[in-house]
Amino acid sequence: MNIENTQSQMRKGILEFCILSIIRRGEAYPSDIVEEMKASNLNILEGTLYPLLTRLKNADMLTYRWVESNSGPPRKYFSLTDKGLAFFKELEATWNELANAVHKLANKTESMPDSTNQNPTF
Amino acid sequence: MKKVININFHSRVIPIEESAYEILKQYSDSLRKYFANEEGRDEIINDIESRIAELFSEHLKKGANCITDADVTSIINSMGRPEDFEAADADNTMNTSSSAKQQSSTSNQQQYQNTYSYASSGRGKLYRNADDKILGGVCSGLANYLGIDPVIMRIIFVLLFGALLWVYILLWIIVPSQSLQSNVTKRLFRSADDKIIGGVAGGLAAYFNIQIWIPRLIFALPFVLGFGSRIFHFGFWDWDGFSPRFISGGLGGTLFLTYIILWIAVPIATTASEKLEMRGEKVDLNSIANTIKEDLEGFKGRMDKVGTDLKEGAQRFSTEFKTTADEKRKAFSAEMSGRRNYNSGFGHVIGVLFKAFFLFIAGIVAIALFGALIGLLFGGLAVFPLKNFLLAGSTEDLLAWCSLILFLGVPLVALMTWLIRRIVGARSNNHYLGYVFASLWVIGLVCTIVLFSMFARSFRTRDFVEEDVTIAQPVKGKLLIDVMNGRKSHHYYSREWYGINWDNDWPLYGDNYDTLLLNTVRVNLVKSKDSSFHVHRLKFSRGRTQAEAQFLAKKINFDVEQQDSILLLPNGFGISQHEKFRNQQLLLVIEVPIGKKIEIAGSITNYNWFTINFNHRNGFNIRDYDESDDWGDAYRWHSNTEYVMTKDGLERTNKNYKDDEDNNNEDDDNNKITTPAPKNNGGYRYKSNTDSSKEKNKKDSIKQKKSTKEKTKEATTTIDKPVAKVDNNEQVSSPVYLLATLFQ
Repeated sequence: MNIENTQSQMRKGILEFCILSIIRRGEAYPSDIVEEMKASNLNILEGTLYPLLTRLKNADMLTYRWVESNSGPPRKYFSLTDKGLAFFKELEATWNELANAVHKLANKTESMPDSTNQNPTF
Repeated sequence: MKKVININFHSRVIPIEESAYEILKQYSDSLRKYFANEEGRDEIINDIESRIAELFSEHLKKGANCITDADVTSIINSMGRPEDFEAADADNTMNTSSSAKQQSSTSNQQQYQNTYSYASSGRGKLYRNADDKILGGVCSGLANYLGIDPVIMRIIFVLLFGALLWVYILLWIIVPSQSLQSNVTKRLFRSADDKIIGGVAGGLAAYFNIQIWIPRLIFALPFVLGFGSRIFHFGFWDWDGFSPRFISGGLGGTLFLTYIILWIAVPIATTASEKLEMRGEKVDLNSIANTIKEDLEGFKGRMDKVGTDLKEGAQRFSTEFKTTADEKRKAFSAEMSGRRNYNSGFGHVIGVLFKAFFLFIAGIVAIALFGALIGLLFGGLAVFPLKNFLLAGSTEDLLAWCSLILFLGVPLVALMTWLIRRIVGARSNNHYLGYVFASLWVIGLVCTIVLFSMFARSFRTRDFVEEDVTIAQPVKGKLLIDVMNGRKSHHYYSREWYGINWDNDWPLYGDNYDTLLLNTVRVNLVKSKDSSFHVHRLKFSRGRTQAEAQFLAKKINFDVEQQDSILLLPNGFGISQHEKFRNQQLLLVIEVPIGKKIEIAGSITNYNWFTINFNHRNGFNIRDYDESDDWGDAYRWHSNTEYVMTKDGLERTNKNYKDDEDNNNEDDDNNKITTPAPKNNGGYRYKSNTDSSKEKNKKDSIKQKKSTKEKTKEATTTIDKPVAKVDNNEQVSSPVYLLATLFQ
């Protein structure tokens, strides 16, 4: 068992949710999103972000607009659609459930019942 | 000092180092491959590149003059390389399971890996390799298709020279040529470092991964042993074709030859990458570096003895390192398996010689074919006027045209087109033209076959008509047979007919455009049963049916004129286009009574008798006159000689027959040949046939008897035997009869 694999799986699971959380707060530009993630100790590569954003956009979760900038090519600014918002809310609910469950399981201290004491049931 | 180029990157002009640009391009390509199956791929890549462009601008704004390798690399690192991407998702509906994600990401990663491995190209189809060719690139293309080293292919072809030569030429013509990238990772080279004579053994050892001494031993030992033993045996001067026998004989000789072939054919591994290929190791930067290091060590070791210095070695190391590093930076596959220059001069010369030789032979074959086809075509056109006489019916006509054009014309056209294309250098990817030509030719072949069978059928049966010719008995008791000449008869022959020059050898003459003159005439002399001369005319013809044959036979016109004691025969007889040529023949039988004389003039020899035979066993043949054509009891005669008929047969009146002028095509046999008295009724065996089949059988038996008699006659070439035959009629005829029955 490769721990990196499992870790990567865990991350992958919550990426979308995190990104949607950021965009929910306001219109965001990819590089800003990367900055935010980094600030929260969740590093993401831009090469990972862009496909994700495109997919979300293609699924009508996000929308964008072009903003001209004088320091380079025009930029895309992403914002949540209504569908995206609903999606986010669901994900949030799921996340909360998961977080609680995991928290509970990981923090229990009493040991498991001893299997040798049990009477065998026929 | 590095070259800087300007690129137009997302509407910005960016000055960037060339090497940095290469890195960027590579990254872009890898992205493209990674997202190949992704929907919205272009958008994603666009976004990423846009971001990169933006970063470039910022960097330049900060004061840099251009973008360097380091800049690009760091940007790429921050963006992430495709293999680092996570959450690559082929499923766009957001209903993802973790396994699907994993699958797609690994497959994408594999794809990404593949782009950095060797390119394999054109594995599916067989091409001739345009880049790597000595003669026509056939071996190279084949080897590419099969995934083996071209040199091995070449060696096979050379060793099996005889059998594979035609295969080679065929492939050379048929298989199209293309620029192929090499897709072998292990190639046979000659080793430049490990060489005593030519490095063949070294190369072989590297290829097969065996110790160097093994191939050396294999080559050397039989040779040395053979050498030793043979030199005692044969000495230096005993040559066996190409080389002294002590070299060429035996296993040592074969191996010697093999060594020479390999020396010529196998290229020497000079560059580091070639050396790696020789060993079948992966050619990348590390291995090249290692190889060079090894080389260097070996080199140094050797050079130490001579005493040259490290400077050279270091120089070589650095330049090779740099060049190979550059190579690596460029598109990997294209460079690594790029063109191979075969600079070995000796092999090159041999190759050119071979090429010239092949072309020469091919050229001769082509010219011969060409000439033959043209000859046939013109021959066909030349006998075209005869066509109307030969062919009956519009079907045959049509078939004749078809076969002429398709069977003869198409190969001609095809050959010419091929030549022209070859010369011009035009290439085509599809061979539909070849197929069209081939199918047309096949149709022509079928037409020809059908035509011939139909034509042959018209000659299937033979029939004849017999007529009596009334003549007046010559007063002096001697009859002279001569041929009319001059324009007396309305049959004259012209030497030119349809622009074709006939000479006397042809049995045909053109009369006018409607008539063909045949002189298939023969004169037979037999003994008369009574005391008068009789003349019979037998007209033969062939035809599709018996009735047709007889009909055509009747049509033969051969009027004999008599001027007292001279019987004048026409030059020939004519057939019209309506009647068609069906091997019509005329046999004139002259009965000579005993005691009377007869002489045949020399002009008779102008007749050309021939018979066309077609049976299922022997096929089709044309026979000149021979004795089986004689009817009844014909006697041989020489022209311009007077004979008198005796009860024993024809006898020359002039007894000194030694100095005969013999200018006909009879056998030069004795003049007292007799034949036994006829077995059947005292008359002639040929009668007007009421029952053709019975007649036919009789005729066949007669023919067989004649042929057996002929055989026995031929067996006895002395003069005496026939006399013996005369004496013992019964005894002679019964063995003959026996033989005849055997043949039946």
